[in-house]
Amino acid sequence: MNNLSRRSFVSFALASTSLLAMPAISTGSARPKVVVVGGGAGGATAARYIAKDSKGAIDVTLIEASKHYYTCFYSNLYLGGFRDYDSIGHSYDNLSANHGVNVVHDWAISVDSSARKVRLGSGATVSYDRLVLSPGIDIKYDSIDGYSVEAQTKMPHAWKSGTQVKVLRDQVLNMPKGGTFAMVPPPNPYRCPPGPYERISMVAHILKEKNPTAKIVVIDPKNKFSKQGLFMAGWEKHYPGMVEWIDNDTHGGIKNVNPETMEIETDLDTFKADVACVVPAQRAGAIAMNAGVTDGDWSPIVPASMQTKADSNIYVLGDASVASAMPKSGFSANSQAKVAANHIRGELTDSRVFPAKFSNTCWSLVATNDGIKVGANYKAGEEKIEVVDKFVSKTDEGNAKRKKTYEESIGWYNGITTDMFS
Amino acid sequence: MVNIVFKFFIAISCLLIFRGLVAEPLLDGADFDYGEYLSGQCLTCHQNSSDEGIPAINGAEALYIAKKLILYKNKELENEVMQLVAGALDKEQIASLAIYFNSLEK
Repeated sequence: MNNLSRRSFVSFALASTSLLAMPAISTGSARPKVVVVGGGAGGATAARYIAKDSKGAIDVTLIEASKHYYTCFYSNLYLGGFRDYDSIGHSYDNLSANHGVNVVHDWAISVDSSARKVRLGSGATVSYDRLVLSPGIDIKYDSIDGYSVEAQTKMPHAWKSGTQVKVLRDQVLNMPKGGTFAMVPPPNPYRCPPGPYERISMVAHILKEKNPTAKIVVIDPKNKFSKQGLFMAGWEKHYPGMVEWIDNDTHGGIKNVNPETMEIETDLDTFKADVACVVPAQRAGAIAMNAGVTDGDWSPIVPASMQTKADSNIYVLGDASVASAMPKSGFSANSQAKVAANHIRGELTDSRVFPAKFSNTCWSLVATNDGIKVGANYKAGEEKIEVVDKFVSKTDEGNAKRKKTYEESIGWYNGITTDMFS
Repeated sequence: MVNIVFKFFIAISCLLIFRGLVAEPLLDGADFDYGEYLSGQCLTCHQNSSDEGIPAINGAEALYIAKKLILYKNKELENEVMQLVAGALDKEQIASLAIYFNSLEK
């Protein structure tokens, strides 16, 4: 079988599979069709809520390349040894079995917004009445001189969960005694604002136990970060003298990285690392770019519905959207998905549409039983999603409160993953 | 006999009026569909299969849920997340959530 015929055969086979998987499309059912691209906190939630709440009145197809989804949230806890890898992996089986979602494991390659069709990696196309894009982030590999796709095995970003986090954990566990772990957090805006600093905490937790003379140097392209006071107080309390955080004004800017020599050059100095986690700048996942609903790196949305400003038939959720005051987090994406699901049902089945209500809380683990959190709720303003009220943990909280916050985060993890996949 | 039936009728009526005056105002304006929509915000954290870290609330008494939410709203119960969530709920929203979660299986 030559390449062309093999491709034709695969296309035919996948098309046949999709006919079986999506009878509504092949039979010309009158049910309105929603296609959701991306099975993370935004996409899985949107698919589940649209299918569940419409009680079969809407034909929902979820396009997601992975058969098992490993959550980005809690991947730091896997890194620190608080969770095993399998515990952050989830299957899509229940979305099909319980709610009739057509789950298609493929890549969405392009969107023809005038014909309202999504082309898949197999070559098949899926038509939609409404399209939900929740592709998360793509890494801008060229945003740091010397970094590349190839470099990510030597200097893992580990910012999309999965095997990259495994690679990083192995590297930390095998670091030479008294060695240096370097962390380069991403510039704003990026997925999971407290994530790099929770990651530093988790690496420090491993090193304190297994390699206590090791050092951590944080070469930050920013001058401040999320929950800064809480993290820095926690590092001093649990890992005294181990973590050195260098802000952008002090090091003067990151000039390049060298994965061969494991060096990170700044205006101030060249830092040599034994293990380095380098997280470049980010942008909306490629399909949002391809669909023509982005402005620059991200997709502007209408706050009341999460429809894109460019195309009212296309909604963008989560990290890929410009959600203004809302951080790029799994919680935010899950919250936005419910607003979009309610709006889409209203558009397609005349069900009631209620005012948008958004919320977010980010829990982080600093050390064993030392959890902290920051949260807010939001409303849809005319132009932007706006903060209504917010809170953040306090630096002088007692140990019992911090333990309770950590336990609450476990409850949240179980809750959100149930809300996405059950 | 008629007298007994009459007294019983009066007693039941008083009970219903009393319940109406004292208890049910907390659930006035409850809207099941609105509660279902609003519950999405709760279900990011609350789930039914476990109380680990965060309590399961499905099937709880509607008045119990409404009262708890009001206590969080007034910051008389501690927990920043719940104070934030309840703080942004009005009376109709609290009532709607209360009857919706009450309708769910435990």
